[in-house]
Amino acid sequence: MATNHQRDPDGWQSRLASRFARFAEFVQDTENDAVAVGALGTVALLGAFASFLVTSPYTSVFLAGFLAAVVYGWVRHQELAARGVTLAMTVSTVVILALITFFIFYEAWPILADRSGTVFGVTVPGLGMFTTTAWNPATASPKYSMLPMIQGTVLVTLVATAVAGPLGVAAALFISEIAPPAVRELVKPGVEILAGIPSIVYGFLGFTVLSPWASDAFDLVGQGTYLFVGIVVGLMALPTVVSVAEDAINSVPESMKSGSLALGTTDWQTMTTVTIPTAFSGVSAAVLLGVGRAIGETMAATVMLRNTPTVAEPLYNVFYGFETLTSLIAANYGSSSGLQKDALFVAGCILFVSVLALSIGSQLIERRMDRKVGGVE
Amino acid sequence: MAGATDSSVVRGDTSTYETVAAVTVGLAAVLFFLGLAATVELVSITGTLAGLPTLTTLGLLLVCMGLAVAGFGLVSYRGIFPTDPRASAGLVAAGLFAGLWGLIGALVFTETLGLGLLGGLGGGLGLGAVAFFATALPREDVGSTLPAGALAAFFGLVFLLGIVGPEWSWSPANFPDSQSVTFFARSVAPFAVMASSLVVGWAAAKAYGGFGARGRHLGAYLLVYLNAVAIIAILVALVAFVVFKGFGPVTEGIEVGLGVGPTTTIGLLGFSVDVVWPVFWPFLMNGASLFTDITGVFPAIVGTAWLVVGAVVLAVPLGVGAAIFLTEYAEQGRFTNVVEVATNALWSTPSIVFGLFGAAFLVPRFAPQKSLIAGMITLGFMLLPLVVITAREAMIAVPDEYRDASAALGVSRWQTIRSVVLPAAMPGVVTGVILGVGRIAGETAPLLLTMGGGSFVEAGRRAKVLGNFQLSLSPPFVTNPELTQATTALPYQLWQVVLTGTGQTAGVDDVTAFGWGTALVLLGVVLAFYAVGIATRQYFRSKLTYE
Repeated sequence: MATNHQRDPDGWQSRLASRFARFAEFVQDTENDAVAVGALGTVALLGAFASFLVTSPYTSVFLAGFLAAVVYGWVRHQELAARGVTLAMTVSTVVILALITFFIFYEAWPILADRSGTVFGVTVPGLGMFTTTAWNPATASPKYSMLPMIQGTVLVTLVATAVAGPLGVAAALFISEIAPPAVRELVKPGVEILAGIPSIVYGFLGFTVLSPWASDAFDLVGQGTYLFVGIVVGLMALPTVVSVAEDAINSVPESMKSGSLALGTTDWQTMTTVTIPTAFSGVSAAVLLGVGRAIGETMAATVMLRNTPTVAEPLYNVFYGFETLTSLIAANYGSSSGLQKDALFVAGCILFVSVLALSIGSQLIERRMDRKVGGVE
Repeated sequence: MAGATDSSVVRGDTSTYETVAAVTVGLAAVLFFLGLAATVELVSITGTLAGLPTLTTLGLLLVCMGLAVAGFGLVSYRGIFPTDPRASAGLVAAGLFAGLWGLIGALVFTETLGLGLLGGLGGGLGLGAVAFFATALPREDVGSTLPAGALAAFFGLVFLLGIVGPEWSWSPANFPDSQSVTFFARSVAPFAVMASSLVVGWAAAKAYGGFGARGRHLGAYLLVYLNAVAIIAILVALVAFVVFKGFGPVTEGIEVGLGVGPTTTIGLLGFSVDVVWPVFWPFLMNGASLFTDITGVFPAIVGTAWLVVGAVVLAVPLGVGAAIFLTEYAEQGRFTNVVEVATNALWSTPSIVFGLFGAAFLVPRFAPQKSLIAGMITLGFMLLPLVVITAREAMIAVPDEYRDASAALGVSRWQTIRSVVLPAAMPGVVTGVILGVGRIAGETAPLLLTMGGGSFVEAGRRAKVLGNFQLSLSPPFVTNPELTQATTALPYQLWQVVLTGTGQTAGVDDVTAFGWGTALVLLGVVLAFYAVGIATRQYFRSKLTYE
């Protein structure tokens, strides 16, 4: 398709034209009342969306119109109606992602514009939030630096990855390659249930048991350490790593493993020389997704940390835990307004963009693995 | 088969060697559990163990095991017992040993010898490099035992010689006073013991297998099995601990008998019947009030139930519809790619970002304050990607023969989907939805921003959605004040407990105990969803395999 595109510079125009032609043909071929109802439904749905955006009370009217169109279409032209409705539902998932992206950046914009800085004569919005280290909303000239929270998130994520990565990959190997079936039926749901325990319950355990223990064991000033938040968050990210890595390991063709075993290798040799190298990209995608989970984990961090944004010194001091990007939002949203609230949205933007990048990156890696394994077969 | 001449087929003559190695593995396990017991202070580091001071006993054990493991390597190297080691222990083992010894070197050179940062860096790198080459260069039997044995012997000697005694402590000098850390023997020694017992156990397992492919296999399996056991043990311990702590508060004051429970009025078409429950379970049926003895979580349970209902009503039709379009109608191309990336991105978006979105977009559009409906929709959006992904997987798994057979009967595509694809995919969809609901039922962060209000809510102020729909002549024609005001839910209630801290408030005598009770109820609700989901999956899977 790419080569076609290069040869034909106005390709998109002809493609658009052919699409229009197909659409016109479709309208021609379809009964008139179906086309009318379809058009009415589309307009009503768009109207409902637009009036919801502007907070109009007439949203319900548009919605009722859409529902009426759907009901009529369902009774008279079920085939077409089903197709149209499912298309609208599909589009809605993309619209939701677009809305999330738009609204968190829209809400963050005032403070980004306010705290812009200049680098080599170019104005960079929000630069002022990354050049100091103080978060101090209650003074005459409030300071909103993201750096303490970024440090916290990085430290927690590093610890969590050190926990979830190796243990998760080993557990995935165990479940898909090593465990006897009866044991697998026990361990697999166990790992899933580990994902099911609500983060606030982990947090409550950490808050009432782990944090006091850590303060006592290391003679800390006050309660809350990045180290133990990281360990708890790692435990919570573990199931994600296990399930994705297990899929990747399972997708290695049985013929490759059998071929290796037929040469007289031990199971472990087959795993280290055939299974893991083949599944390597999928396994790394699993670890990336686990990192994403760890970055976004909120309640355990909020409950166990001190919620006073400060830079931990020295920079690797994991024994003191102050604030992560997620806990900043959760702990401060209720009591904030104005620029401070916008600053929380900046934290949300950082989280959203980094996790989005990790998600897309791991999907690209997974696809590469699918192609590779598919090609081997 | 060059090695066949000097190794016998039956390895019966190595039984002493193997027995000693097996005993060492067992001792390592004992040592590991001693270390574990010391972290939770079941074994006191400052007290005595087997008649000697604890650290002396542990030190003796460590030294013995270190010597034993090093001995395995040397015995094998001298050829006293036939083994089949490789030329090298491999780069992975070398890297791990280099890391461990590098850390020890850095700490010893900076702190014990007082050489500062540069000295520490040099010492760490130097010792790490020595460990790396000591592992990687010699034959496998020496490379994988000597550094391991030396590690255990090092810690053992440190404990035996009293360099780290029971009262030992160390605070790094470069930490500021307000963020100071002190490492005590009682908190550090157990971890040193556990780490070295893992390393020694691994090396002994390798020796037991006679090194080479079989030894590596045994060593690695030991660690992988341990890891699986540890994960399950942590899970069981977590759940058991919450049950242990929460059981008392939750079951306090339960009465069973006719007419002891609260009265529920069921009204239908003008008739109403009062039903009196035969059970009175205060923790589940009371709200917070100064006038009841036992504070309960009834409003929170109602709130969570409504949240789940709202999220499911929104997300399941949307998600299943999108999955139908993507698998059955759409041609695989750019559009489906975009949707797939978008759903996966939505799935991994942090819950707090959903909360921010709900607060910025949904809350102001329904009511001027946080509201139940904003919480429902936010959680619905979180559930949506999971429904799309699982429903799609279930539909893709439906064999194409089904579709072809249906199409061959001359029915339309939609009829095929409705009567063939959907029923066949239903088990997968249902399982996915149940597991997804379990996940969102425990979700807290979005509720803080979109729905939560009130710290301890009375039973009368629970969300009464059903009876409160109002019709009016002005737009938006249908309103429900219960949907547009803040309420509580189980996870939110637990967060309020954390905010309150400890002590007595709003009729709650012991907030921490109330918190454990709430945690147990929440855990029970979520795990019930998971249990049902997993059981459904097993049931349908067994049906599929036997059909």
